[in-house]
Amino acid sequence: MSQENMSNDNVESATEDPTDDDMILETDVAAGLEEGSETVRTARERSIVEANGINVWYNDEQALQDITMSVPENQVTAMIGPSGCGKSTFLRCINRMNDMIDAARVEGELYLGEKNVYDPDVDPVALRRRVGMVFQKPNPFPKSIYDNVAYGLKIQDIGGNHDEIVEESLKRAALWDEVKDQLDESGLDLSGGQQQRLCIARAIAPDPEVILMDEPASALDPVATSKIEDLIDELAEDYTVIIVTHNMQQAARISDKTAVFLTGGELVEFDDTKTIFENPEHERVEDYITGKFG
Amino acid sequence: MATQDRSSYAEGFGQVSRTVGTVFRYLLLASTLFGIAVLAILLVYVANDAVQPLTADPGWHLTFFLTLVLPTLATAGYLAATNLEALKFGSMTIGLIVVSLLFSGGVAIIFIEVLAPLVWFAYVLAFAVPTVLMIALQRRSRQLSFLTRFVVVALAFYTSLFGLPGVVPSVAALVQSAPFVPLDWVLLTLTLGLFASAPTASYAAGIRDRRTGLGVGVLALAAVAASPFIGPPVFGIGTVPSVILASVTVVPTVAFVGGTAVTREHARIGILVPLLIVGGALAGEVLVDTLGYAGPQSWVDWQFLTSDHSGTAEDAGLYPAIAGSILLMVTVAALSFPVGVGAALYLEEYAPDNRITRFIDVNISNLAGVPSVVYGLLGLGLFVTQLGRPSGTIFVGGATLALLILPIVIISSREAIRSVPDEMRQASYGMGATKWQTVKNVILPRAFPGILTGTILALGRAIGETAPLIMIGAPNVLFSFPSELSSKVSAMPLQVYSWASYFATDAFYEKAVPAGVVILVTVLLAMNSIAIVLRNRYEQET
Ligand SMILES: Nc1ncnc2c1ncn2[C@@H]1O[C@H](COP(=O)(O)OP(=O)(O)O)[C@@H](O)[C@H]1O
Ligand SMILES: [Mg+2]
Repeated sequence: MSQENMSNDNVESATEDPTDDDMILETDVAAGLEEGSETVRTARERSIVEANGINVWYNDEQALQDITMSVPENQVTAMIGPSGCGKSTFLRCINRMNDMIDAARVEGELYLGEKNVYDPDVDPVALRRRVGMVFQKPNPFPKSIYDNVAYGLKIQDIGGNHDEIVEESLKRAALWDEVKDQLDESGLDLSGGQQQRLCIARAIAPDPEVILMDEPASALDPVATSKIEDLIDELAEDYTVIIVTHNMQQAARISDKTAVFLTGGELVEFDDTKTIFENPEHERVEDYITGKFG
Repeated sequence: MATQDRSSYAEGFGQVSRTVGTVFRYLLLASTLFGIAVLAILLVYVANDAVQPLTADPGWHLTFFLTLVLPTLATAGYLAATNLEALKFGSMTIGLIVVSLLFSGGVAIIFIEVLAPLVWFAYVLAFAVPTVLMIALQRRSRQLSFLTRFVVVALAFYTSLFGLPGVVPSVAALVQSAPFVPLDWVLLTLTLGLFASAPTASYAAGIRDRRTGLGVGVLALAAVAASPFIGPPVFGIGTVPSVILASVTVVPTVAFVGGTAVTREHARIGILVPLLIVGGALAGEVLVDTLGYAGPQSWVDWQFLTSDHSGTAEDAGLYPAIAGSILLMVTVAALSFPVGVGAALYLEEYAPDNRITRFIDVNISNLAGVPSVVYGLLGLGLFVTQLGRPSGTIFVGGATLALLILPIVIISSREAIRSVPDEMRQASYGMGATKWQTVKNVILPRAFPGILTGTILALGRAIGETAPLIMIGAPNVLFSFPSELSSKVSAMPLQVYSWASYFATDAFYEKAVPAGVVILVTVLLAMNSIAIVLRNRYEQET
């Protein structure tokens, strides 16, 4: 199974020492140069999502201003900022969910892997099949737990043993032990935290390349929240996770990289989480993080 | 000033007048009660005329009071005080029995008068064969393109239903020309029996496991198959009604009772209510017979339900009108449901939000308010004058009534579709579903109970309409039974109207009309109660 292979690769690379890591990354960049396919990426790590001058308007209101950032593969990238600063909007740019909003207009380039998702030949439905999404409010379908997890497999016409994939996904979402005897029962009968983990299982079942999470724990109690946080930590071994949160402690706990958006839809600073929280470059970011405003 | 304020604090907070509010409240109460009270008085008056309870011996009343009313009321009262869930279960069972009996009656009329079981069986088979093929092909969706599958399935349906002239006979024709024709009840057992036992089996499988489900399904089918041997000798009804009664009333009721008893132990005791009602009625009947008390000379009786219209009130019956109403309903539902739900889906999920859409929006609401006479005129102009169909037939009547309720079906279906939370759509699109997949897998299943509720209520409106039927030239009285789409049709409200106008003698006024009204209202209430139960269930789930 491809998921298996992927996880093995990642475990290996994670255990390698930093010098080795750097070498690999260098060769990656070199390979990119030789092929001459893309501009050289400035990030040290291999990036999977790369925004290049993204602007978003809702009618005439600009919600995002010239966002340029590259999100590294197989890491957790957090996006923080006061509410209304465009975090969700940016998340929706990645899988083109903004297309559903009539008022929204997006300009700029956004690469997923090597492909600009705003190229005219990109089918947004096909794009969304490679990007999983978890929403703020748990939103399982009023179907059985099994059917919820198998939904992506069914609509994307993915073959293979669905029973196995469903079990695997539920295990990865740390829900299997709690629901293995009630797979036929409605997903709505679960508690809020379980529902959110069910939604995560649903999102990872078709084995997406990137998982987007929009404040996945903000509707949950602290215990459920910490379960979700542990889960995100584990998911990052196999997947690239981009998570929006308004909770700075959460960002500090779980993310490798942090992007700080501030009012007006600006990306003010994007760096290693440690740097952002301990030694931010911009005063505004420091003010925000220390709670002076926002 | 300030000192005054302080002193009033010390004395208390004072009083604020509520006189106007109280008066207003009782005015509201009065206006609420007014409509209900007037309607209730009217219904009691009509029911009194129709059933004539005072013509019965006092002994008759006393017997039934003691055997039926008293035990039922006592038990219901006890349950209401101690175990509301059980009472609910009991009354649901009674409701289910009543409604499914009405339904059985309707189905029986159709099979006895209109649709020969052989023809029905032939068409069920003709549908089943390509459906099985379709499901089999669906499984192989990865090997075959959508277009291939579509062509194969369409061809299979066409061949199965109509045949290819000169090459392959249709399944439908093949079955009907079979040299050996099974008995009617065998055909009905194979169709209706299966339709009843398959959902029962899956219901049981949902409660326990697959094996239990299979066992229950086989048992249900066996019960239906056994009914033609039990029905005629024990209850004196024919084999066909026996099978229908078994599959439409007995199997669903037993399944509901059994399922609830297994899953909700607490509510089990509620079964006493239906048992007491049925048992009390039977005991009362036996007692009254042996003691020789005469019952009321009710106008609503078996004779009234099963006779044709007649010039004398004593012999007049509602049978052709009941059957006409049923056939009209089937036609109306078949025409308005797909069109209405389709339009609602388009407007809610697909239509762009522009001026044309808003224009259509407003006009659908306007159409819902157009008087029914106007729809009758439309039906007459469209179907009879323009399309040249004969006037007053089932098809023309059904199509006209379908037009009449179409705006209501659209509006209520839109409401149901709109009530599907946006999060569900987001979740589905976020998984990479297309619009069609989202509509099929998420929106329609979720909105379906609401759509069904709205459609049933709309059908209730159609069943009571008289004016459009008069406009399209439906005969006021019908002495024979409508047997195909192109035969003339009457309906219950029309029959009552003609008794009250053309045959306006005292006898008709006092007897036939109230009896007809009681039947009509009973059918309407039954339909509305189905809709309400559905809606309550749906609201509980969400
Ligand atoms: N569907 C929409 N239509 C119009 N404006 C919107 C819509 N969604 C978001 N906005 C606006 O865009 C800005 C950014 O919103 P959002 O991305 O939801 O912020 P955040 O997730 O950071 O709280 C806000 O000012 C909000 O009012
Ligand atoms: Mg947000």
